[in-house]
Amino acid sequence: MTTESFLVSREAYLAKRSIRRNTDVKRPGWLLSVQFLALPTLHASRFTVFLLATALSLSLNLNLSHAASFGLADRVVEQKLTNGLTILMVERHQTPVVSLNMTFGVGGVNEQVGQTGLAHLYEHMAFKGTRTVGTKNYEKERPILEEWYRVGTDLEQRQRELARRSVERPASPEDRAVIEGLQKRFTELQEKAGQFVAGNEMALLYQRHGGVGLNAATGKDLTRYMISLPANRLPLWAALEADRMAHPVLREFYKERGVVMEERRMRNDDSPNGLLFETFTSAAFRAHPYGIPTIGWESDILSLTPADTEAFFKAYYGPGNATIAIVGDINPKDVMTLIEQTFGKISAAPPQPAIVTVEPAQRGERRVEVEFDAEPSVAIGFHKPALGHPDDYVFDVIDAVLSDGLTSRLYADLVREKRIAAWVASDSNYPGVRAPNLFVLSATPLAPHTTAEVEVAIYAELERLKTEPVSAKELEKVLNNLDADLVRALRSNGGLASQLALFQTVAGDWRYALKARDKIAAVTPAGIQRVAAEYFTKSNRTVATLVKKASEKNGATSPQHEVAR
Amino acid sequence: MKNVKREALGVKRGFVPLGMLAMMMLVPLTSACAGDLALGDPRQMTFKPVEFTPPEPDRVVLENGMVVYLLEDHELPLISMTATMRTGSWLDPADKIGLASLTGSIMRTGGGGGLSSEQVDEELEQFAGDVGISIGRQSGSASLDVLSKDLKRGLQIFAGLIRTPAFEPARVELAKLQAIEGIRRRQDNPGSIVGREFVKLLYGADHPTARESTIGSITRLTKDDLVAFHRKTVHPNGMILGVTGDFDKSAMLTLLREVFSDWKKGEVPVLTIADVPQDQTAKPVVRFVNKETSQTHLRIGHLSIKEQDPDYVALAIANDILGGSSFRSRLFNDVRTKRGLAYSVGSRLNSGVHDQGVWLMRAETKLPSTQEVITRFVANMERMRTELVTDNELAEAKEAYVNSFVFSFASSSAIVGRLIELEYDGLPKDFLQQLRARVIALTKEEILAAAKKHFNPERLTVVAVGAGEALPKLLSGFGEVKEIKLVPEG
Repeated sequence: MTTESFLVSREAYLAKRSIRRNTDVKRPGWLLSVQFLALPTLHASRFTVFLLATALSLSLNLNLSHAASFGLADRVVEQKLTNGLTILMVERHQTPVVSLNMTFGVGGVNEQVGQTGLAHLYEHMAFKGTRTVGTKNYEKERPILEEWYRVGTDLEQRQRELARRSVERPASPEDRAVIEGLQKRFTELQEKAGQFVAGNEMALLYQRHGGVGLNAATGKDLTRYMISLPANRLPLWAALEADRMAHPVLREFYKERGVVMEERRMRNDDSPNGLLFETFTSAAFRAHPYGIPTIGWESDILSLTPADTEAFFKAYYGPGNATIAIVGDINPKDVMTLIEQTFGKISAAPPQPAIVTVEPAQRGERRVEVEFDAEPSVAIGFHKPALGHPDDYVFDVIDAVLSDGLTSRLYADLVREKRIAAWVASDSNYPGVRAPNLFVLSATPLAPHTTAEVEVAIYAELERLKTEPVSAKELEKVLNNLDADLVRALRSNGGLASQLALFQTVAGDWRYALKARDKIAAVTPAGIQRVAAEYFTKSNRTVATLVKKASEKNGATSPQHEVAR
Repeated sequence: MKNVKREALGVKRGFVPLGMLAMMMLVPLTSACAGDLALGDPRQMTFKPVEFTPPEPDRVVLENGMVVYLLEDHELPLISMTATMRTGSWLDPADKIGLASLTGSIMRTGGGGGLSSEQVDEELEQFAGDVGISIGRQSGSASLDVLSKDLKRGLQIFAGLIRTPAFEPARVELAKLQAIEGIRRRQDNPGSIVGREFVKLLYGADHPTARESTIGSITRLTKDDLVAFHRKTVHPNGMILGVTGDFDKSAMLTLLREVFSDWKKGEVPVLTIADVPQDQTAKPVVRFVNKETSQTHLRIGHLSIKEQDPDYVALAIANDILGGSSFRSRLFNDVRTKRGLAYSVGSRLNSGVHDQGVWLMRAETKLPSTQEVITRFVANMERMRTELVTDNELAEAKEAYVNSFVFSFASSSAIVGRLIELEYDGLPKDFLQQLRARVIALTKEEILAAAKKHFNPERLTVVAVGAGEALPKLLSGFGEVKEIKLVPEG
């Protein structure tokens, strides 16, 4: 066992299901793609024991309908507090553990221009504690934090202003003196505030009490906080999470913003796939915020302030915008008592502002290139309707017919027969589900074949969907796999909690999955032909290609804009 | 490309007590109240130990030596099985690196048991059966996952692929092309480069744990090579099969005997991996790879002990406190939380039973903070070697470990999987229980002694992937800097 194979193999193990699906490449910004791994790839230590299943990826393709026959519909206990908080519970008593998934209906789509990355930054800041946890003395800490953040905001505004006008009017000695003074004060306050910080205390408490899988994720439509605990530790969870929902305190702001910048570099700037999908997505959406990378643009991240972050929390983290799914060795009655005592004391919040922007119809093919020191690949997207639209179910079927398994059409044709691609995949809900989104196809060519050849072959398969009815056998296979997948999805507490909270948040009803199965079963060959003809058109598509760029001598893109804090 | 590279060993095992009666927690029972919210200060909460007796799987040895673990679990109508096989790429001949891996992937995709590859794929996917086969460095793995109604047919196909794979020439050709494309893409991601170059420097590029296939070595492989490798290394008496899910034990054994019992014993290869000669590991090494990136991708460390080493538990906890436990660890708090210099940072001790382990620290950080991060790594390592850890750190490490025990029993397949790994590695059934007892008894002094002995600043290997113009200067304070020039493949 070697260092890296350890890592690879761990992921491979978790992604076992992907063997059949033939998609093991993580696409940034995918629905539920984890934008923040609180526990990144370093927890391979044998001293940390994991609930493996919580890491199994879930997609909308997995739905729960067939689960009806195993009693899921009867086993979910649904409760709503008067402040709007939704609770979903399932009892499973095999092991004395419980998985918790708290999902908020807020994400990248709720950000304003100039503040991209805010939802994700808040998610990081949510691990910094409350008035009780994460501090040695909040009363003394508070005024220092307030002054520090005022000074920091002032300092950064002046620095940006100076940088903007530096060409025609260089900084005067007075300007510099002001900046230096602020910088000095900033550093003093940062140090002073630091003395009150009980670092990572919330995470530490969870770990001491045997918590595993502590994590959070920010997507386009939602933000999620996960943990699994020994079942009798529920009071700890309720106390910590209700406190964090009511009284978070944003500590160590500038350092954490630096961490997020490093995350952006790692995921998007230094990753060929990350940069390809960031560029692809922003080309496909001109108006709707789905086009903005969830992690944010570099300049925006570096301009985010503590006040912005606090305001974002106030607008979007009310109890009415949250669903908590709890699956494991629990007694729902006791759980509700606990939740009433804690979350029940939080006041209701006004509804969040609605997103009014609608992506205008695309009027012509869009093509973009990304140059990278990497082998080529291609992503193709077609605009399509959101979750719940009748055509959306048809796309789920098309998705499976095209790329689910070794017998899927794209794999059979491009990989096995023509041997022009090493790998091909599709996804029917990118990058979010609540608003109209994209059907995406992606592939890596097999050298010496090109992305252009791969594109031609993919378009031929899409044409075939328009002209030739999909066989009954293929449809039967799709349904069989769907049914099996949703049984498999019940295997783990964490996976089930994740699904329940997901559908409650994006569809307003955890039963969405149960209902969707029958809609999918009702999809006809004629329906597929109609949808393919309507959406798979040249003018509706966006194509992004990764183009090989040789390493250059002067290539290093060292950060230009980030000032050490 | 799809074929999962699964090195099953070392992945799934945590510290799990086997067949233990109840799990005791370190924290005494009291109750908590007061504070802002109704339940009071979460820092003061204490809880009773969680008591749990995990189910005990059955172990049966078939007449041909195949070991079978069975554990019924009727909650869902699913059955899964995993075969761990005594084969691996440690057996690859020097001129045929990639043989084991390719054999595994084509056992899955090349047809077998009298069925063509297309028949296998069609039939399995029609009833939503999952089969995966792969061969890693120190073991092979084959898995089947089916709805219980499809068990019989699924098992026939599964056994056919394991026992009599067909290695159809067209699928062999395709897998070779995919493997070659994978090799061509090895240099796309800085994270992949730094990991592979680091391991090659530690073990030597020809060592079974580090060596890599090349386009040449893959091109040379023939169907006959695969057939011979399979025949030589895959035997029932080298296989441990774990079965969990919705079945009746005696009916399952009957079915297993039907498909496996006429399979003859063979000569099972002995898993031995040579240690790296001492003189090869004694010196500091500093290397960089020039790649156009915004971050420096760093690995720093050296070879380490095996799991059987008497210092293993102390060293593992030392590593846990240094950088292995994310939020709790010193590296996370220092480099990430306090300094904001990295998103992903920490240390790992990867020890196995069969070859020397690796201990490493890692991070990705923007180019200008490269030096600071390495300096912090070295300083934290030194502190582990010279100061006792605090009482609090030790208590946290122990509690986190003991209290999360119960998660090792989150599923039947996890319980069975661990037993199989222990048996494969020749470790006693209660090995993990022994480790647990030693963790609980561990002292600060033992941790310090282990850190002093096994964290060796004088033989650190540093590998950095990033901006080639700037890196040599940034790294020069840590030893003589040399470049690893990557040669594009294909």
